[in-house]
Amino acid sequence: MSISEQQAPNAGDEPEAPTNRPPSMERVRSWLSRPYAKGIVGLTIVLGLLLLPVSWLVLVPMNQTGAPASEIMKDIEQTIFVFTLVSTPIVAFVLAVLLYSLFKWRRHKGDEIPAEDSPAIRTNTVGVMLWTAVTSVLAFFLVVWGLIELAQITSNAYGTISADEQPSDEKALIVNVTGQQWTWTFAYPQYDNVVTEVLYLPVDRPVYFNVTSKDVIHNFWAVELGVKIDANPGAVTQTGVTPNKVGDFNLRCAELCGMHHAYMQTEIQVVEKKDFHSMMREMGGGATT
Amino acid sequence: MSDTTTPKTQPLSPTTGEPMSAISRRAKGALWSLIVMDAAGTIALVISYAYLWGLNVNNGWAPPGASLTGAETDNNLPSTAPTGSFAVEWPFWAILGMVILATLAMWFGYKELGRGNRAGMLVGSTVALVISVVTLVAQWIQITNLPFGPDEGAYASAVILLLSSNIFNLLIVIFLLLGMVNRTRKRLITPTVSYQAKMMSYWMVWLCIAFLLGAVCTTFMVESPNLDPITFGTFTISS
Amino acid sequence: MSSTATVFGTEVPQPVQHGKPGGIMRRLNLVTALIGGIGLALVLGFIASRLVPSGASTSTFAPVAPDIVYLAVLVGWVVGFSVGIGAFVGPIRWLFARDLTHDDAEYLAGRGQGWHRYFKFTTDHKVVGIQYLVMTMVILGFGGLLAMLIRTELGITWAEAFSPTFYNSIIGTHGIAMIIAMILAVTGPIGNFIVPMMIGSRDMAFPRLNALSFWLLVVATIPLISTLFVGGIQDGWSVYQPLASQGTPAMLGYQMTIIVFAISTGLSSVNFLVTIVTMRAKGMTWSRTPILVYGVFAAALMGLYAFPFFQYSQILSLTDRIFDTSFFDPLQGGSVWLYQNLFWLLGHPEVYVILIPALVLLMEAMVVFLRKPLFSYKFAIAGVVGVMALSGLVWAHHMYMSGWAPAANYPFMLSTELISIPVGFLVMVLIGTLWRGRVWTRLPMMAVYAVVFNLMIGGVTGIYLSDVPADQYFHGSMFVVAHFHYMLMGAGLFGAMGGLAFYFPKLTGRLLDERTASIGFWMAFVGFQVTFLSMFVAGLQSMPRRVLQFDSQFNVSNWVSTIGAYVIGIGMLIFAGALIASWILGKPAPANPFGSKSLEWQTPTPVPLENFAVLPVVTQAPYGYGVPDPYDAELMKKDGDRVSPGAGTQ
Repeated sequence: MSISEQQAPNAGDEPEAPTNRPPSMERVRSWLSRPYAKGIVGLTIVLGLLLLPVSWLVLVPMNQTGAPASEIMKDIEQTIFVFTLVSTPIVAFVLAVLLYSLFKWRRHKGDEIPAEDSPAIRTNTVGVMLWTAVTSVLAFFLVVWGLIELAQITSNAYGTISADEQPSDEKALIVNVTGQQWTWTFAYPQYDNVVTEVLYLPVDRPVYFNVTSKDVIHNFWAVELGVKIDANPGAVTQTGVTPNKVGDFNLRCAELCGMHHAYMQTEIQVVEKKDFHSMMREMGGGATT
Repeated sequence: MSDTTTPKTQPLSPTTGEPMSAISRRAKGALWSLIVMDAAGTIALVISYAYLWGLNVNNGWAPPGASLTGAETDNNLPSTAPTGSFAVEWPFWAILGMVILATLAMWFGYKELGRGNRAGMLVGSTVALVISVVTLVAQWIQITNLPFGPDEGAYASAVILLLSSNIFNLLIVIFLLLGMVNRTRKRLITPTVSYQAKMMSYWMVWLCIAFLLGAVCTTFMVESPNLDPITFGTFTISS
Repeated sequence: MSSTATVFGTEVPQPVQHGKPGGIMRRLNLVTALIGGIGLALVLGFIASRLVPSGASTSTFAPVAPDIVYLAVLVGWVVGFSVGIGAFVGPIRWLFARDLTHDDAEYLAGRGQGWHRYFKFTTDHKVVGIQYLVMTMVILGFGGLLAMLIRTELGITWAEAFSPTFYNSIIGTHGIAMIIAMILAVTGPIGNFIVPMMIGSRDMAFPRLNALSFWLLVVATIPLISTLFVGGIQDGWSVYQPLASQGTPAMLGYQMTIIVFAISTGLSSVNFLVTIVTMRAKGMTWSRTPILVYGVFAAALMGLYAFPFFQYSQILSLTDRIFDTSFFDPLQGGSVWLYQNLFWLLGHPEVYVILIPALVLLMEAMVVFLRKPLFSYKFAIAGVVGVMALSGLVWAHHMYMSGWAPAANYPFMLSTELISIPVGFLVMVLIGTLWRGRVWTRLPMMAVYAVVFNLMIGGVTGIYLSDVPADQYFHGSMFVVAHFHYMLMGAGLFGAMGGLAFYFPKLTGRLLDERTASIGFWMAFVGFQVTFLSMFVAGLQSMPRRVLQFDSQFNVSNWVSTIGAYVIGIGMLIFAGALIASWILGKPAPANPFGSKSLEWQTPTPVPLENFAVLPVVTQAPYGYGVPDPYDAELMKKDGDRVSPGAGTQ
């Protein structure tokens, strides 16, 4: 039930104008002239500016150990940045209303029931439509961004090739990852099936992981490379990435897998391509594809 | 709620004084809610059946053949190609037929009650009860004579759970039908207050649907379509 | 039918009265139930221990005897307690055509039994509400104690305070205990006590079913607590397979808890749905129904269709364990993904079962303490209905990283992002109701600020998690833990606390010591921010969840979280203390201390058994508060000047 707003002819309008409404800008201006309107809009802007640095700050803890070490991780960080940025106006507005309500609109204390009621605002068509439009636009933006990015990441990581249909791109490295309680082993089928317990990867070369488990569900999480996939018993899952930074990174298990889940982590060593070849050769994997 | 304009013939609930039409409306609401609940559970079993049928993980869908004994059941080895047999299909449909007969008997009874014929309701619900007991026995015979046990693969597990769910449902229906018979005898279910008979009839229709779902699964989703699953613990398909 | 009774002024024919009113229920209570439960548990346990040879083992070399004996004990407990409390009396009476008389019903409702009625199978919805309140607080206390232990372990970064197996047990038990407590937190006490009065009825549609739901909860809680003594649930609250099959016999305790709890919740849902649809007062059309009723309805409906999936995930886990079926054993054709799908089909709607009632409860409180109507009542309904409708379509966002169906990640990401729109409607209603309202600074009102603040943080972090690439980083890390604590505890629990402070006078007949309760509330709130904001940092740093030891880079964030947790603990104890002290010693409350216009406050305090002497008739929309907006008058005045004489109006 909305409180009907009086429509009245503007002094300068023709008497035959169909609605005789004041022009929209005047209505906006007249709304803004209310003290609380100015206050909330101003507070929203101030809070929004204060919250702006959060979009950068959230990335700081993520980059403490060398991230980003791949395009995928960079994409992920950019997504988090954009999502935070895009959420800031709504959060700022809501906080502004909370603060304004706490400090500026009148208050009543004590045990007695207040004698005066507040304005009976049952709805505000403009407000509701604005909120719905803004949140819907934001939600759709997030969806579209996310869908496109997911497609991009997947095309970097293929996900749909079955285990025995390995890519013919000779440049790509394939690693078979086996998780078991409570250790990771990595096999390099292209290098005479060399088996290691540390994940060695060459820089700037796409690597595809086939991941499985021998017992319970584990989760293969290459932290700074930004890839993660469950290691399931009875199935082979796939992911892929191209590391673009040399260094030592973390591989963690991210699915509770029993007593020593906390200790089920190992190193990822991303090395130069020629170093990688010599390491493989030293470990017995003579042939290269 | 007291309502002095209620016609004198409108039966009232002894406990709350409300017209029985209000009570029966609530009971019908409960019936639909309970059907939703039971349907969700049945669908969970059907999903389990269908999902495992589709995946055929480690070639373990079908029951393993008799050749798998002793060392070959060591859990580190993948199962070999199964040669065991699936459940015979016609008993599922025969039992469904019995459930449908029981439902028809109950409906007959309910319709007779609506025509004022209490004896007809007694006959209908008693026949439904007897058929349900026979169905229970038949279902028990079927489940104990399956060519596999619960520990023989995913198909076996799913079938046995579906049949166990059937047995559970039949036990409940038998209890309810006993109540129908006894309460009609004691004139608590009458032509004027017949909503419990109506609810029973609808519930039994749902029962038919639940049995039908099981029969459909075990007839049309038997051999798994996934003919080359990955062998457990490796990165290659089983040969 | 030989006699009649006077029921609310009408002579109603009665069935035969067998014995005294209440029959055997006169002799059954918590004591007989405990005797039955413990007795039958011991008997069946003994029989099982005789039947199962102690050296027997399964094909995976696990000992069989502890499982079978424990299962027998659990079954004995469930059946024995149910018999002892009189759960089967209703169906048996129905079978033998011994229907309840009015005197029977009055007895069952607790007429004339004083405090004893709280320890019996009592059907009065007000009694059931109080029983649920006490149980919820007990379970919350249990879960809270475990939380303190968890944070202690995580704070002691230089050593392992507990063994890994014990730590894994307490995190899982904490999780499921809190989930159960939060599902009940609003719908249990407030749903049962208040909703029937709010819709102007005398009780729920099925009073005996209501009592049964409560006692089944009691039945379900004991196996959960017992798990700590038989090895512990070492698999998180979600007890994923196949790790669960490696678990101690305690897994059977978890399964039994859930199987029984699902029945309790399902019956409770049936009751709420039918009550709300069919028993609203005359004149209370859907457009005059308070939003709390909508929220409870939505929660009940979600619980109704979704809980059986959780229940079956546990039934199938049980058969996998006891009968060696292979639903989830990949060696023999089972799929771990099947478990996850069944689990999360409930697991997601469940969080809305927790969240929605808390939010709508605060909406009911707000309008009273602001004395203005709910902003955009229609969009509040749209929000509730939208969340309910979409809640069943988002479950696999918990499985983005499982690899079960990479193509499915796209539609689930879409549905998950979309659900933020109806949730946003609820935020809009909360903010809109605050807008220009004159705030009566009582605790239930102030709770709104805490909840909206937490909801924003929880909501935004939820947006990250709904995005598959971002989830690729966050899944399985402490970031997720912090997010869901913000939603379920920050919005859910603090909302329930505020709502309880609101209805306290009606529930207990006493006034709450709001000063002390507020100190506890805000202390817990501040501690909450410290704990979980720091936990977000740990997650961003890549700390996995469910780990008791971790790299030293996570030390600082864990120390901070632990300090915050202790502050929460103290704050919660103060709040609970204020609650209990006021309950026992507080000033007697007037019938309507806050001047509410809602039906439930129009009853006397303490509320009589029949709630209303005469059932009310509703003639107006809800939330009849507020004065005309002075700005509207100003607008009219301003524009009125411009109306030239003779010009058309409007």
